[in-house]
Amino acid sequence: MKYYGGCDVGSTYTKAVIVDDTGKIAASVIRRSKMNSAESSEKAMADCISQVPGINSTADLGYIVGTGYGRNRVPFADENVSEISCHAMGVHTVDPTVKAIIDIGGQDVKGIAVAPDGTVKNFAMNDKCAAGTGRFYEAMARSFEMTLEEFSTLSLKAKTAVPITAQCTVFAESEVIALVGEGKAPEEIAAGIQMAVARRCFVMAKKAGAVNSITLTGGCAKNEGLKKAIEKVLKIRVTALSVDPQLMGALGAAEFARRKGGAKA
Amino acid sequence: MRDLKHRVFFEHLLSDVKNELVDEALSEGKLALGYSCYFVPEVLLNLAGCFSVRMRAPGITDTSIATYYMSEKTCMYSRSLLERAIEGGYNFMAALISTETCSMMNRCHEHFEMLNLVKEYNEKFFVSHIDSPFVTKDYALKHYEKQLRKHVLDKLNGVYGVDVSDEALLAAIEKHNEVCRVVSEIGEYRKAENPPITGYEFHLIELISECCPQDLILPYLKETLEELKTRRADEKPWYRVRVVLAGGENDDPEFTKLIEDAGAFVVADRYCFGSLPGREEIIINDGETPLSAIARHYIETNQCPRFMNPEKVQGRKVYLKQLAEAYHADGLIVQQMKFCEYWEYERMYCQQVMEEDYGLPCMGIEKEYVNTSVGQLRTRFQAFTESLEIKKLEKEG
Repeated sequence: MKYYGGCDVGSTYTKAVIVDDTGKIAASVIRRSKMNSAESSEKAMADCISQVPGINSTADLGYIVGTGYGRNRVPFADENVSEISCHAMGVHTVDPTVKAIIDIGGQDVKGIAVAPDGTVKNFAMNDKCAAGTGRFYEAMARSFEMTLEEFSTLSLKAKTAVPITAQCTVFAESEVIALVGEGKAPEEIAAGIQMAVARRCFVMAKKAGAVNSITLTGGCAKNEGLKKAIEKVLKIRVTALSVDPQLMGALGAAEFARRKGGAKA
Repeated sequence: MRDLKHRVFFEHLLSDVKNELVDEALSEGKLALGYSCYFVPEVLLNLAGCFSVRMRAPGITDTSIATYYMSEKTCMYSRSLLERAIEGGYNFMAALISTETCSMMNRCHEHFEMLNLVKEYNEKFFVSHIDSPFVTKDYALKHYEKQLRKHVLDKLNGVYGVDVSDEALLAAIEKHNEVCRVVSEIGEYRKAENPPITGYEFHLIELISECCPQDLILPYLKETLEELKTRRADEKPWYRVRVVLAGGENDDPEFTKLIEDAGAFVVADRYCFGSLPGREEIIINDGETPLSAIARHYIETNQCPRFMNPEKVQGRKVYLKQLAEAYHADGLIVQQMKFCEYWEYERMYCQQVMEEDYGLPCMGIEKEYVNTSVGQLRTRFQAFTESLEIKKLEKEG
């Protein structure tokens, strides 16, 4: 059996996936990124390799593709592919019926339209500021002195949402503190934050060509509160994936590696 | 591919507006005339005893003082020029020729007068404003010619005694055309399948032709052209796809390099002004004076999105399509500076028309005057390159 690797070095998390020559996932890991991208990728891939019997190092993989913001610094990669192409391919391998993706990563939000063969048909990026990204959620959760999971769960308890007007992460944090000071219910403020991010996703969803449904990828895709807010605000169904949505970039990279390494698509 | 002989020197020339060739011309007593728009005919600023300098602010990092005067909702190019002027970066200039083209740049140039900039070092320094037409009708052309006479020639003659006779204009046209011929011939190499030049190198060459005195830069341009005739490209083309880069003002070759680092060869440049348009020779038709020929030339070749008449609006899209065909481009990148009042609309419209009507894949980029968010831009360019590459492979079967 031959194996192929994909390594997605993101700004917050590094993900690695190994697939076999049929495209089936043999192993995957998600690790917090370090300052040094090369070190992050080496650690993640080593952990991933350790889960697959019969292979001991990157030299045992038929082909490796690096992706994510640190893609140029993956020392063992045979080549790198942008995370936009990789997310499209990753989602396509899991669910070929998906035509539109919103990828909410640590430092940007991307809308991606997927072609029938899993390649990118069109894309749009919001990378001007941290509003609506993973960093934004980290700041908001910090204001509530909660983990991201706790924050998401809290927002689901709200019956109404307090509108959040600030777009900027820094100002939104101040606004949240002010609202808490005014005595607003924390779950309603949390729901308001989810709604604000969902609204920001609208443009990306439209640019990705979303009509009736969309899929979320990236770390923020695990945020149930956001999923519900998107469905409510955008009046669009969020399609769930059978594989961890945070792995889609690395999975796409592994699939590219599999195809480039000689295995048939 | 071996490096161009003068590449490092060219990069050095672009690192400062007052570069060593500008210094050399100043030491000969020549007048440096600044401009920042295609509506100011470069040729008129290269009359005997004068030389044109394209206004740039290389290496600018902070525009705080200019932002105070102009507000943060103005384009960074206009704020950068004002900031550099306040720093004293243009104190060597004899005049700044301006146009009414865009309100932000106009505001920048007005501040040269309001803050009494440069005048402290040259009391004869003046800012002159040309009223440029919005349409291309005959009456607009006549108005434009009058404006050029009144706000450029008469001012230069009146303040500095510059010879603005028809003979002097003819000599300026001849010199200008020679620069255009050489730059255009260099640019033609980009049409080759495996070209002996990169888009980055061409951007350097084109810019130095606008930022240095023509007499002094011409020998270097000619030498580079000769070098390209025998320069061998690597056996296999280095690029993955070919793109036309269009949009507003762009005087930063590093931006072109960023695109090319992602594997997309910038085969043609269609900015506010540069080589396409900008390096077409000026032809004097029968019955035309040198000035009327110059006025007609700069209106005819002008691709500014400020023009609202239907033939110009549609003509800009046709021009892009023609460029894409002539330079065998796979796609188009349209870049626009944040808050640019004309390109903001033009970019959106352009993307839609080029994709839907002409089937040319297109990507829009909003940028600042200096390269920021390089990591994000690199991702965008790489993703666009990958999508073009796949489309290209599909087309080739």
